[in-house]
Amino acid sequence: MRTSLRIFFIGGMASYRALFNWLTPWILIPTFIVAPIFELLFFAFVGKDAGVGDNTFYLIGNGISSAAIPCLFAMGNTISNERYTGTLGLLLTSPARRLPLFLGRALPVILNGFLVSVVALGLGAVVLRVSIPAADWLPILVVTAVASFSCTGLGLVAAAIGLRVRETATLSNIVLGILLVFTGVNVAVSVLPQWMQSVSAVLPMTHGIEAARELAAGRSLADVAPLVGDEILIGLVFATIGFAMLLWFEHDSRHHATLETA
Amino acid sequence: MKVLRLVGVTWWLQLKMRSRSSFDGILSIVYPLFFATMIFFMYGQHGDQETLVAAAVGAACMGVWSAVSTTASTTLQGERRQGTLELLVASPTSFPLTVVPATISMGTIGLWSLVVTLVWGRVAFGIPISFAQPFVFVVAAVVLAFSLGLVGFLQAIASVRYRTAWALGSTLEFPVWLICGFLVPLSLLPDWVRPIAYLLPPTWGVAAVRDAALGGNAWPDIALCLLSASAYAVIGWLLARRLVDSARMRATLALT
Amino acid sequence: MAVIEVEDLRRTYASRTGLRRSAKKDVEAVRGISFEVERGELFGLLGPNGAGKTTTIKMLITLLLPTAGSARVLGCDVVADAREVRRRIGYVFGGDKGLYERLSGLDNLRYFAELYGVPPQEQGPRIGELLELVGLSGRERERVEGYSRGMRQRLHIARGLLHRPEVLFLDEPSIGIDPVGARELRETVATLVSTGTTVLLTTHYMFEADQLCDRIAVIAGGSIVAEGTPAALKERVADGHVVEIEVYGDAGERIDAVRAIAGVTGVAVEEGATSQLLVVRTSAAAQVTPAVLGTLDGVRLGRVATREPTLEDAYIELVRGA
Repeated sequence: MRTSLRIFFIGGMASYRALFNWLTPWILIPTFIVAPIFELLFFAFVGKDAGVGDNTFYLIGNGISSAAIPCLFAMGNTISNERYTGTLGLLLTSPARRLPLFLGRALPVILNGFLVSVVALGLGAVVLRVSIPAADWLPILVVTAVASFSCTGLGLVAAAIGLRVRETATLSNIVLGILLVFTGVNVAVSVLPQWMQSVSAVLPMTHGIEAARELAAGRSLADVAPLVGDEILIGLVFATIGFAMLLWFEHDSRHHATLETA
Repeated sequence: MKVLRLVGVTWWLQLKMRSRSSFDGILSIVYPLFFATMIFFMYGQHGDQETLVAAAVGAACMGVWSAVSTTASTTLQGERRQGTLELLVASPTSFPLTVVPATISMGTIGLWSLVVTLVWGRVAFGIPISFAQPFVFVVAAVVLAFSLGLVGFLQAIASVRYRTAWALGSTLEFPVWLICGFLVPLSLLPDWVRPIAYLLPPTWGVAAVRDAALGGNAWPDIALCLLSASAYAVIGWLLARRLVDSARMRATLALT
Repeated sequence: MAVIEVEDLRRTYASRTGLRRSAKKDVEAVRGISFEVERGELFGLLGPNGAGKTTTIKMLITLLLPTAGSARVLGCDVVADAREVRRRIGYVFGGDKGLYERLSGLDNLRYFAELYGVPPQEQGPRIGELLELVGLSGRERERVEGYSRGMRQRLHIARGLLHRPEVLFLDEPSIGIDPVGARELRETVATLVSTGTTVLLTTHYMFEADQLCDRIAVIAGGSIVAEGTPAALKERVADGHVVEIEVYGDAGERIDAVRAIAGVTGVAVEEGATSQLLVVRTSAAAQVTPAVLGTLDGVRLGRVATREPTLEDAYIELVRGA
């Protein structure tokens, strides 16, 4: 257990430092702050033009997705980065436990996504002149964290697939697109056709976003507890599937040399 | 003549390369569909026929910008990694001339995205693809792709000098979509944004495409689009020389 | 007329270290080198990794600007007349990179032919001719991403020759190539030179320089430490001989004592898996073996042998001294 924790934190710290080694303010600011704000503004204005939704609607949707979506990519990116630097093979033959290993490396990205989301929500609220009572902010952030967690779960599945498939970037972006459309980020789930709503119900972020919107409208955390519970459940299910796939692919690769390590 | 041939050959080979990559090729066409879908759902709730057609056209144009902006700032980085950037600079051909056709090929892929988006709008949402002036529409679309390619050229050049310019590419997608009025009319944006919008070629290109679809006069927009894009190309050209010299001085051509 | 003239060429790299990239560090990669290459010559720049060979060649092909000094290729200054220089030279480097992976070999050649202004009607025949020369005929329509290292190298050479350059710069062309491929490469290069192309080759393979080059400049630590024909360089070490002593255990402290022995002109140590090899160069008349063995008293020794010096000894001595 202690070894796992060490792998988790020290590996994570090393990743974090590596993240900042080539980061100058010129990358930091555009990527992390400008992009999400503009995405939010874009949809808020489109919503206004289309006569659909209010600023709070888009603020919550985009704020949560900016926290949760990086979590989706965190581990898949770890794997493709390791592949790019040629160290994936080395990593996979090490005796370290897989989960803390990959989670540790994903940690900086996850934390970063959360920070970005907080900034985006804050700045966005100011720019769009949305006022959410101070008391509601903390519950919303809690829900954001839960959504991030469940996206991380889905991310594990993506990472496992990434071990077998080379074109992880393409795959990741397609999953991102699906999430944006189905989970109510900019289009209320109730507007979608029935078959799509069924899919939305099993995806991460859907319940979290709905819960956060309810919270912004004045409900309490207790009121949205069922939604939060659903979100956590979805996250756990995906995480379990993903973890199982990860182990299975690795195991299978030793027999059939199927891992794309290069 | 020789220049035209070189541009043509480069454009064609770059197009070949990009269409063979799932990321540059397929994703460039598929990714904008997700945004188009969201947009169709949003406008579909209250919009009338004309609004929907305008939305479809706007969403289609979004794909063209997407195709350019996401690949332009990383293209030269890719050449650098591949070891071909040095060879391009070492050749007697003027360096910008090797980059312009590459970014225009990105715009060309964007045209594919435009077509696919319109088809998607028709197939999935029933938005008709009947345009008031079909021929002008085609001209406007080509001009849009071409001029966005020239804007991409400037983006690409900046990445030769600054190793970290790729960040710019990933952040310009939404700002341009918003500010240049792809979907949201400029009148809805704050006043101070408008002058900025007028300086950007996509604003005119998209206006041209929309006018051609809905029955306005697209020609002035087409002209302004070409004019503003040429200005960007000239800036890019002048910058290219200085930037390559700087890269030769600071030895950043070969390093990743 | 000298085809390449290099005068006191210098190149410094500035790099930044530290968390916020605030500390500057200057590395002088090339410290004032001068040499000339005549038309039709095969000139070798020989030196270990990091000696400054690639930096030098990049300055000559106009990819890097010198920090000081000057260079002229075919009478054109590499800084002021860069485009003229580029038009008339070819550049080939070793390794996997430098080709468009997703395009076929043929498309790669077509593209570079266009870049180098080969007239359209001449492109087809010229490409065919070069594919024949480098032995890639029949494989040109396959994508480069499927090429082996050797095939890529050959395609590189074809690429470098498309526009019939007067001077060809080869940067470590045989690196990572198997012996058969490397030999074919050398034959191609030799043929090129015999038809009048001037070639400047950089390499760290000493036998390659010895076999191919008309003249060699040995470069180490950014400076030229010796220059001349292979024969002349061997001449430098022709007199005297070499005593090789296999040493088990650390002879480190004794080395200076060995060096101090009269008649010893140089000592090099080669690290092996389980032992070290002490290579002692001596002047002609000296009989130093007993003295050397005396200095090594107490250290466990293996084989002791005396031999004639080779070019490699000269090279090692020159390079280590820098």
